[in-house]
Amino acid sequence: MQLSDRELWTLIHGMGLGALFLLAFGGGVAGLWSLRSKLLTEEGLAERTPRLLIGTTVMAVVSWLTVIVGTWVVYPWYRATPPEGLDLTVQGDALREFPRYWLLAGEKTEEWHKFGMEWKEHVAFLAPFLATAVAVGVLYYGAQLAHRGEIRRALLIFFTLAFAAAGVAGLFGALITKAAPVA
Amino acid sequence: MQSPNTIQTKPNGPVAAVFLAAGIGSLVMGILVVLNEVSTEISSFLKFDANFGLGSGVGPLSGKAILAVLAFFASWLILGLLFRGREVKFGPILTIALVLVAGGFLLTFPPVFGIFAPA
Repeated sequence: MQLSDRELWTLIHGMGLGALFLLAFGGGVAGLWSLRSKLLTEEGLAERTPRLLIGTTVMAVVSWLTVIVGTWVVYPWYRATPPEGLDLTVQGDALREFPRYWLLAGEKTEEWHKFGMEWKEHVAFLAPFLATAVAVGVLYYGAQLAHRGEIRRALLIFFTLAFAAAGVAGLFGALITKAAPVA
Repeated sequence: MQSPNTIQTKPNGPVAAVFLAAGIGSLVMGILVVLNEVSTEISSFLKFDANFGLGSGVGPLSGKAILAVLAFFASWLILGLLFRGREVKFGPILTIALVLVAGGFLLTFPPVFGIFAPA
């Protein structure tokens, strides 16, 4: 049992960084939602705020790492160009090493690229922008967020949008990898 | 004990700045996706991996990503300086930021940017 370099990097991108971001979302939402002065004592605020700060900062960093690894490490393997002479209209074994072209060669699979990958590769970049805004808001206000309802609600909206962007990217990443792995 | 309305908190300018910057970064990504479809010259320019040695085999996505990230950080810097130490009306700022983000989501959706691709 062993992993190739490509499998390892795909694993780091999807199951490591990407999954960590998506899984941490629930904790972050709960933390932001409950960070209200009427729900918490001063001690409660002091106890929860550092955890929320660490959580949102880690999520922002992870979202950047996910898109960087995805774009500059994994994506070039996905869109690698087949050598001259290889039939690009038949989903043969030789074309399997070139996932983008393999998907485009089949009527039943071409939409995985045309819709799935085209959406995933672009919308994923919205996640780090939005997650960074959330982390900066939490970092800047800290426990004061409990007294700034409008900011806290805005952070929740941005956090949810970051999750939506990352969710689309993660879902299509998993499905496309299943249809045409880069390994 | 102070009521929430009387508690002094920091001015919201820096947070407003990063919210708007996230919206700008998102919209710039969407616009670049459309421009890449519209023009082969722009598509070639966006190949920052080949043109500027920023990666290998990434294609136009390298330019789209780098320019959108630059737009995010540059607008964050500029707006951060403009809003520093200021309390701004957060509702309108949030609305503008959400419209910009919605534009980013919309223009990165294949059936939408596909409209701009040559037949």
